[in-house]
Amino acid sequence: MIVETGHFALVLAFALALVQSSVPLVGARFGNERMMAVGGPVAITGFAMIALSFAALTIAYVQSDFSVANVWENSHSLKPMLFKITGTWGNHEGSMLLWVLILTFFGAQVAAFGGNLPASLRANVLAVQGWIGAAFMLFILATSNPFARLTPAPFEGRDLNPILQDIGLAIHPPMLYLGYVGFSVCFSFAVAALIDGRIDAAWARWVRPWTLAAWTCLTGGIAMGSYWAYYELGWGGFWFWDPVENASFMPWLAGTALLHSALVMEKRSALKIWTLLLAILTFSLSLLGTFLVRSGVLTSVHAFATDPSRGVFILAILTVFIGGSLALFAFRASSLSAGGIFQPISREGALVLNNLFLTTAAATVLIGTLYPLFIEAVSGDKISVGAPFFNLTFGLLMIPLLAVVPFGPMLAWKRGDLPGAAQRLMFAFGGALLAVLVVLLFVDGATVFAALGAGLAFWLILGALTDIVLKAGIASVKPAVALRRLVGLPRSVFGTALAHLGLGLTVLGIVGVVSLETENIVTMRPGETLQVSGYTLRFEGIQPFKGPNYTEDQGRFVLSGSGGRALGEIVSAKRFYPVRQMPTTEAGIKTLGLSQLYIALGDATADGGVVVRVWWKPMVTLIWLGGLVMMIAGVTSLMDRRLRVGAPAKRARPGLSAS
Amino acid sequence: MTRKQKRLTVIGGALGFLGLATALTFYALGQKASYFYMPADLQQATLPPGERIRLGGLVEEGTIVRGQGTEVAFSVTDKEKSVKVVFNGLLPDLFREEQGVITEGTFRPDGVFVADSVLAKHDETYMPKEVADSLKAKGVWQESTQ
Amino acid sequence: MLFWVVAALLTLAACLAVLLPLVRRPSVADSGGSHDLEVYRDQLGEVERDASRGLIGAVEAEQARAEIGRRILRVGTPEVVPASPPPAMRAAGMAAVLAVPLVAWGLYAFLGSPDLPSQPLQERLAKNPADSSVDELVARAEAFLSANPKDGRGWDVLAPIYLRIGRAGDAVIAYRNTIAINGATAARESGLGEAIAVAAGGMVSAEAEAAFKRALALEAGNAKAHFYLASALVQEGKLDEAANAWRAMLGALPADSPWRSPTEQAIAEAERRMTVAAGEPKGPSQDEIDAAANMSAQDRAAMIETMVAQLDERLRANPQDAEGWRRLVRSHQVLGNADAARDALQRGVAALGTESEEARGLQAFGASLGLAKTE
Repeated sequence: MIVETGHFALVLAFALALVQSSVPLVGARFGNERMMAVGGPVAITGFAMIALSFAALTIAYVQSDFSVANVWENSHSLKPMLFKITGTWGNHEGSMLLWVLILTFFGAQVAAFGGNLPASLRANVLAVQGWIGAAFMLFILATSNPFARLTPAPFEGRDLNPILQDIGLAIHPPMLYLGYVGFSVCFSFAVAALIDGRIDAAWARWVRPWTLAAWTCLTGGIAMGSYWAYYELGWGGFWFWDPVENASFMPWLAGTALLHSALVMEKRSALKIWTLLLAILTFSLSLLGTFLVRSGVLTSVHAFATDPSRGVFILAILTVFIGGSLALFAFRASSLSAGGIFQPISREGALVLNNLFLTTAAATVLIGTLYPLFIEAVSGDKISVGAPFFNLTFGLLMIPLLAVVPFGPMLAWKRGDLPGAAQRLMFAFGGALLAVLVVLLFVDGATVFAALGAGLAFWLILGALTDIVLKAGIASVKPAVALRRLVGLPRSVFGTALAHLGLGLTVLGIVGVVSLETENIVTMRPGETLQVSGYTLRFEGIQPFKGPNYTEDQGRFVLSGSGGRALGEIVSAKRFYPVRQMPTTEAGIKTLGLSQLYIALGDATADGGVVVRVWWKPMVTLIWLGGLVMMIAGVTSLMDRRLRVGAPAKRARPGLSAS
Repeated sequence: MTRKQKRLTVIGGALGFLGLATALTFYALGQKASYFYMPADLQQATLPPGERIRLGGLVEEGTIVRGQGTEVAFSVTDKEKSVKVVFNGLLPDLFREEQGVITEGTFRPDGVFVADSVLAKHDETYMPKEVADSLKAKGVWQESTQ
Repeated sequence: MLFWVVAALLTLAACLAVLLPLVRRPSVADSGGSHDLEVYRDQLGEVERDASRGLIGAVEAEQARAEIGRRILRVGTPEVVPASPPPAMRAAGMAAVLAVPLVAWGLYAFLGSPDLPSQPLQERLAKNPADSSVDELVARAEAFLSANPKDGRGWDVLAPIYLRIGRAGDAVIAYRNTIAINGATAARESGLGEAIAVAAGGMVSAEAEAAFKRALALEAGNAKAHFYLASALVQEGKLDEAANAWRAMLGALPADSPWRSPTEQAIAEAERRMTVAAGEPKGPSQDEIDAAANMSAQDRAAMIETMVAQLDERLRANPQDAEGWRRLVRSHQVLGNADAARDALQRGVAALGTESEEARGLQAFGASLGLAKTE
């Protein structure tokens, strides 16, 4: 009953999406307010239906209902409850349902909180959301129906891929999808503006919260995915420049650019057409990401549950939406009023520079990711574009961008004062210089590259702090006044500073790991010790262990610091999941301050030892802490009061109109 | 400067930057992209010594030799030719005989391939795409081998 | 039933979501200009704040204010579109309301399985096994055995059930497992032989024959083994020997043995075939091959070829003859002409209809002769 109700609700949601994609659009076209008003309730009901459908699937997983083919393929009655639940979206069908759930969730949000939007804009936005929803629901129903049934039902499932039986699965895909799909709202706003043929001054302000929310989630999703791959794959890498990673990184770069250009549009009514294009491109890259991940056209180490035949369907969706929106853009953009021009040395000038670099970087990543496909199509040669390419191109592009980041917030709108900004950043610059010197002189094995990288990271961090200090006037007024000012600062100022600070932390972490990491591959027998960066690691031996649905050989290590200080035990294991006949490596990780010791077990050798790979990863946690800080920055910015105004005057606070 | 000149400067600067970035990208593609070969392709190809390539195929049965400590030697085959590969490090979890792998590295002068990374994806049905395509073309491997 | 009620309620809710806005009087729309004004007012406020903090100079602040002022002046009144719904609109709206149930029920009728209840595992395991269908019981046993593959009793029980429900291939595996774990008995060995024979479409292959012989070694009077070994004789064309074997077996069987009637039928069939054997073209029988052995090599080849060609001819005219195809395939195979055998196998399968039971039997027969499916 529950399963079929979920199936029916999904079909019903598809029918509603069809209505949502047509009726409000017609209403907006002919100025029929009743028809425009249909969009809201339909979007909310559609979301309720998908939520019901998703809940039904989750219940089927929780109850191990193997009469559902999808549950049988991806679950097992012995799996721990958490992984039964997360298993709902740990497979192709379920993850697409999650995708649509989030899409309709955002649509419902627009419907529920978009009361202050002009009716025709709201109707168009919801209609575009309806198109996307209808396309993906059709995709699910036609090619990947999670509610397909089996009779007679088997009594045991085939288990979830062991790599996915991890807490990471609970967080990573939903966050990533919130990001990917969040940009669909920006896309819908852009297409709606193109359909309408006009851009309101408040357009950027309406779009910004969606951009921010999507960006925040995408940041979190990428950071989480990176950490997950780091500890679960047992290779100790945090970023592989793998196509699937690039697929999530490209929308992030474009989304970051959008975040900044929307700011210019809001404040200065400039860059309107560019911002629209960027909104379209960002979501297009999200769709491309979905396609790359789902179709398996590119070799990836992370792609699960790929199916080329479904890829063709997504490719069709991709072509229609990207091609359609870009065609609409080409057709309509000239009729939109262009924004004003501005001085190169100004806040907006700096933001344009930011956009130039970010979009170029995104384009570089795109070219590197798709180049193998292109070459294969043209000449039949198979090539791979890996980390060396991306490090060279992307790295070179990022260095100047990072170097100018602290200037941006220092410059005034319209006409900036570059020498003045430089003067205000003297302290940050001095600090960065000091960091370079300290690293060069006092850190063993540090290269010039490491020193400069550290300098760049400190430049970003100190520059962000300087921004806050100056805006609050901490250096120039009495502490009490400064504190009051600090509290009174708009949240978005904190958001900017925190985001840039987080970026600095991530850069610092990357520089630390890349330049100072040490790696040992040794054969160890029980009782032997290994010296790693001043720590002593003693191998205790291997013990078998039986988990709920796996068995493992646990290698136990005892760590002690200088002078024999005990620092606890590290357990690294080789696991085996009998249902799937799959081995996995469970890395042993010990966090010491900001750094980590990372141990992966290899094969046993003939003489009773075991091959052990031990990394010392200095400051590695900063990579993800930086991401966390960026997320906090996004949330802080979202709480800014400014984002909630832009409503008609009748709703404005009396204080504002009096001023 | 007039308004127009200013605008032109900005646009010119942006275009110059884009040109530079494009040049960099294609230079890097030429330098850093590595080609993918199956053992049988290597006869036709003339490889400059020391060139990084990706070598893919199946791990030949009975060729895995674990040497002293962490060194491993095995042969990668496409059922026509096979190439001896040495690798120093931890093999991926799903590294098995008759399993598809992709290795990356360079050839030693004596014709042994020194790999610095060995890839076998973390999915039990995995066959690296390049390997699958090439093996299918040779008729060695079929989609539904189960 | 409950499902239909829920489905109807959901449909009702969905229709109402479309219908209500269409019939409700729309609230007074706000003009687009007011949004823009609000933005500009906010921008003015920000300029003030920045100026008071000293982040921008007085001149810049003044310029910014002037610019925002200019933008405020530009805010025009948006053109108002007359909003009287033409009848066509109303019809379109109603069509949309109707589309929801039509699309949903139509698609669901195509995709859904409304009669299939949810089957949570706990509930199913708690259910009395007597109420379950055979398939379900087998599925349960399989689940148990995949977790405990060393459970001999389970394989012992499952093997004959597999055979009875027509999963002969699985039965072979199950019999092998139970023999490996529990040791060989006459019943298990003869069961294995039967499973192999059924899997091969009724042909007793060398493998099956070996199993039956092992069974007889364990229990000289094993009826099943005797029966199938006699069938093997029929396969080789030794009808009279087979009939004799069956007769001998019948004599030894107890009066209430279930093997009595099949054996009697088999004897009758063998006798019938012996009487009509002369009139019917058939594959090379043992006699003919013996005769051929006395000829010169050339003559022998010619004779056999003629006979095979005759059979082939007949099958072309009358392809719905599974037994005939079997003989043809076997003849080619015996003559060491594997390609021709494979060809005959394929033609036979095609003639019998690829998906038919007979074609599958023929395939299995081919497989038992070592003719792998070639694709």
